[in-house]
Amino acid sequence: MQMRVGVLGIGKTPHKIQHEKGLRDLIVEAGRGAMDDAGVEPEDVQALYIGNAASTGFNYENSVGLMSSHHLGLVPAAAVRVEAACGTGAWALHLGCAAILSGLYDTVMVMGAEKMNDLATVEGTSIIAQAADAKEEYFSGLTFPSGVALSARKYMEVYGLTEEDLAHVSVKNHHYGARNPYAHLRFECTVDDVMNSAVVADPLKLYEVCPMTDASSALVLCREEILRDQPDKPQVFVTATQMATGTWYAVSDTMQDAYDLLNKPATRAYEMAGITPDDIDVAEIYNSFAIQEPFGIEALGFAEQGEGWKGAKDGSTWIDGKVAVNMSGGLLCKGHPLGATGATQAVDIVEQLRGTAPEEIQRADARNGISACRGGPGAVGALHIYQRLEG
Amino acid sequence: MTVSAIEFSRIGPPKLRPYAMRCEDCGTLHAWWEKFHCYDCNSTKLSELELEGGGELTNYTVVYYPPRDFLGQEPYVVGHIKMDEGVVMPAPVVDVAVDDVEIGTRVKSTLRRMKLGHEGDIYYSQKFIVDDAPSPEKPVAAKKKPSARKKARKKK
Amino acid sequence: MASILRYGAYLPRPRIPVKEIHSFYGKPGRPRARTLATPALDEDSLTMAYEAAAEALGPKGSATTVIAVTQSPPFGMRKMSSTLAEALGLAATPYDVGGHPGALLDAFNLGAAIVDGGGGDVLVVASDYVVSHDERAADMLSAGAAAAFLLSTEGCCELGASARASDEVYDVWRLGLEPEPRYRLEVLSAAYGAAAKGALTALEATTGTPTSTYKAVCPSQPHPSVLRALGRMVSKGALDATSFVGEIGNVGSASVGIALALGLDSVARKGQKLLALSYGSGEGIAQALEVTNKPRAIGVADRLAGTEISMGTFYRWTRGRQVEPH
Repeated sequence: MQMRVGVLGIGKTPHKIQHEKGLRDLIVEAGRGAMDDAGVEPEDVQALYIGNAASTGFNYENSVGLMSSHHLGLVPAAAVRVEAACGTGAWALHLGCAAILSGLYDTVMVMGAEKMNDLATVEGTSIIAQAADAKEEYFSGLTFPSGVALSARKYMEVYGLTEEDLAHVSVKNHHYGARNPYAHLRFECTVDDVMNSAVVADPLKLYEVCPMTDASSALVLCREEILRDQPDKPQVFVTATQMATGTWYAVSDTMQDAYDLLNKPATRAYEMAGITPDDIDVAEIYNSFAIQEPFGIEALGFAEQGEGWKGAKDGSTWIDGKVAVNMSGGLLCKGHPLGATGATQAVDIVEQLRGTAPEEIQRADARNGISACRGGPGAVGALHIYQRLEG
Repeated sequence: MTVSAIEFSRIGPPKLRPYAMRCEDCGTLHAWWEKFHCYDCNSTKLSELELEGGGELTNYTVVYYPPRDFLGQEPYVVGHIKMDEGVVMPAPVVDVAVDDVEIGTRVKSTLRRMKLGHEGDIYYSQKFIVDDAPSPEKPVAAKKKPSARKKARKKK
Repeated sequence: MASILRYGAYLPRPRIPVKEIHSFYGKPGRPRARTLATPALDEDSLTMAYEAAAEALGPKGSATTVIAVTQSPPFGMRKMSSTLAEALGLAATPYDVGGHPGALLDAFNLGAAIVDGGGGDVLVVASDYVVSHDERAADMLSAGAAAAFLLSTEGCCELGASARASDEVYDVWRLGLEPEPRYRLEVLSAAYGAAAKGALTALEATTGTPTSTYKAVCPSQPHPSVLRALGRMVSKGALDATSFVGEIGNVGSASVGIALALGLDSVARKGQKLLALSYGSGEGIAQALEVTNKPRAIGVADRLAGTEISMGTFYRWTRGRQVEPH
């Protein structure tokens, strides 16, 4: 089937620690921003899919769908909270697309929001661990960083990647994060800076793990005709949405499982959009931990297995390279507000395709973009393709 | 990371001995949490199988920022341990300098405190220590015997 | 006659130099022990008992009864012996025996009675983690360890006669199950001496064997000064192979067990006589043993040295054992 879901409007909040704002403040900021950008009123939005992964833990509140609908003025339209660990925001996007494609709705809003910094870090880390099996696997002293560190060490063993080589991923992300006004961490770093930073979970170091961030992002989506009827608006469409699950336990997750988690939906997504990896100009690849960027680059077909790390070092994943990966600074610099991330990736790609990203991070003449989001220890894979398609 | 005292009673003393789940249809061993579904053959019939306790490190990391229940123990090694019976389990490796473990190190299971529950219930589980004894020459045939508790319950 | 078939011991590896405690608290006087064996945060009396018992049982061992001796059980109202039996995979009858630092020797009496009565093999384990805070850790020499003995109808070392001497005295005690022992330093030496002497004299009377006959004496040893006093009651050199308090400290009810394990390790020949001796909290017990087969040494002496930890680590571990989670 040919998929054309119009992106009518986008909105996002800065990504940083925002003690003066609560969850509902962030949701309203991003949601109103997207509706304003779309030129729609709240009553035009027929359904809201709001992604939020852990408000019961971080914010002691649960009914995020209802709360968002109320404060955004969307009542009496449909509203529901979506949760899929770190893939939450992408899942909200997927459901919004499915809603439009089903014909049931003409215009919907999809959002992601997370407010992680009201609690102390050690509490927050424990809550994040609930996205994995905190009762069984993480009962063993693992945390998210150390779980991913295990996959980093495995990759290093199998493919001979060195810690210095991996550090280039952080260098690249920080180069662009420093130039993204919405990013949490806005400083550049060198390979030495990365190598000398504190070890979080061997072999991953501080500059190779993302910060805990507060943010919200939103997109107003519509039927193809509605966007076509407004030719002055940038003609950016979501042209593929493919989701997958993988094993919830890192210990039973082989390197092949990790690859398949993104590769299988990616293959279906390329087919759905009718394009190949070579057609992609710009990509947002989930990288809450640096090693995940090479994993994603390989799964999306931009490099052979075992070679995904090379692009950060040889320039082929920088702004003028074969495919510009994570021009936003990735999650390493934007942080990973769990529920918002997948939606923020979509907003950042849409900006690239519209040509409205800040100049220093704008890929020239970007027409085809892709976002790869993942969740849990390796349990959620989410692939979206976006294209600027002039009439 | 919280288990209530009621849940504790339901799941029984967790992991006082090392065990795996064995698929009754295809014989594949899975980690202890796979109670419901065999990923290899899709069977839903799995049963507990006690392990000998010996294994080898196939992967490891060192945790410097632990979860709350492990505060004070950092830095500690957490490994993926391939038990002699074939199944892979995650667990801390203790009583060893973090630089002294490598992939291939032989380890054996032992009892350690995992955490103190918020209702004052103590959770014991399996951690591993380096095993200096020579490794077994052939793969250990996984033995299948009911737990001592089950035997004692049967006696009554 | 009931015999020790196999034995095991567990000494946690971390060691806090007592001079670090002294220097932190500004204590005068020299450290009385060099280092104290300090269990790590994920260890307790049960896990140490498990380690020692696993060694005593060996790969094929089994027991019908488990007797656990401890004064620092993980739970005040649950038997350590039953959880221990479960952890060892034994379908065994569990008993907890306690009341004083010498309870291991009480447990030997009870275990021997079970063995002699045809009740099967008995696993006896003593495990303690003595905890004192602040400068009291350096006074009490608080430390942790475990020792385990598998009793059977035949083995390497027969359990002979035993004798007791009791006295009502406040030397070392606790109110209920409060975490730290209370003690009267000015009473301790005399009380320990009286209990030990009383037990030795009673054993002499029972067996007709003079104390000086025993070439190896395996005593509880809460403090080096007590060990010196004991040295004057027994034959010269009898404590040479079994002294350890200066290296690992006061390990409570496991103390006599570690001493006995060292004694068994040092046995040179069949026919040798050993004497296990406990005292403290007003009760002294003396237990005679005779070697029937030279035991296979487990090398406890090699485990006395450990890895030094800093005062900061020691403070964190003894103050905040397993911080209560969210």
